[in-house]
Amino acid sequence: MAGLGYRKEMADWDMSVVQADFFEVAPENWIRRDRTPLYQLMESGRPVRLHGVSLSLGGQGAIQHDFLKAVRALMDDLDTTYYSDHLAASGDAHQLYDLFPIPFTDQEVVRLSDRIKEVQDVLGLRIAVENTTYYTNVGEMSEVEFLMKVVEKADCNILLDINNIAVNHKNHQLTEVQHFLSQVDMQRVTYMHVAGHEFDERFGLYIDTHSEHVETETREVALALHRQHGTPILLEWDNDIPSLATLNQELSCLTAFTNT
Amino acid sequence: MPDGFYQYIRGATEVVPAGYTEAGMRAYRYLVFLGASQMIEVHYPELRQQLGEAAWKELIQAFVRQSAWTSHYYGDLKDEFLAFLARQTDAENT
Repeated sequence: MAGLGYRKEMADWDMSVVQADFFEVAPENWIRRDRTPLYQLMESGRPVRLHGVSLSLGGQGAIQHDFLKAVRALMDDLDTTYYSDHLAASGDAHQLYDLFPIPFTDQEVVRLSDRIKEVQDVLGLRIAVENTTYYTNVGEMSEVEFLMKVVEKADCNILLDINNIAVNHKNHQLTEVQHFLSQVDMQRVTYMHVAGHEFDERFGLYIDTHSEHVETETREVALALHRQHGTPILLEWDNDIPSLATLNQELSCLTAFTNT
Repeated sequence: MPDGFYQYIRGATEVVPAGYTEAGMRAYRYLVFLGASQMIEVHYPELRQQLGEAAWKELIQAFVRQSAWTSHYYGDLKDEFLAFLARQTDAENT
């Protein structure tokens, strides 16, 4: 079972031939838009889940309840209980529309888990938070320790992004992918993300561009977890979107051997 | 998180906040610039060409530096951009 991040660039595609079992969209892109393409995906028997990009769980601005109510209405409309966003800030008190690191400190564990609980109270259901790529950060504990403390305190789920763990290891050499995974409670993981990334020599950093093929190691790690725990995998390809044939090929690599 | 983190990303200071790497901070500053630049270009495709690269870059940098929007909808950036241009024009006329 493999899912695909649905992009508006795919609006002209014949989605019936896309070999994905489920889809994911950003609620920010669909709350105010004609949802006909999403209804068509649902009519083909393939669910659509929500993965937000702007909640700013780590930001300083107040959680916007009106926005969450709109997300909740969209969830009802799409008949899904899945909504996730990133363990990151979208800016200071304002939106800079990117994902910024939250210091890995106990103080932030408390603040973040309180904000997640507030979100879950407004929505009336449990959300998942995604481990993110960070290009520099400060703190007093490891990323995975921070992630697990937050999700346990907030009692929320995890959207486990294997590519982000790999990118962070390449950039910072702090936590091996397998060590990171050994600390994660897979019972809390709703599904996994895989994607591709690129090296940017201007910064000497690997950037999480979602514009490339998935690396072999990332794919194999995801497939192994899928075999062990049955956790679904979703492919994110958001920039330089390839042909439908290339995407199908990538998806087939993610479904290979998953039914054994 | 220190205020200096976002001050750097907005281009309001060149002082890298304590504990963070310069390369990482430059990457964040670049990604925010790129996001704003791409969104404004989608809505005003002719503006970049009319201004030329140097003036375009300066305009987007000025916009990012003082931006204060709170909308969850990325597309609303264009309204913020219009408000920013209006403020710039007012400043020039006074």
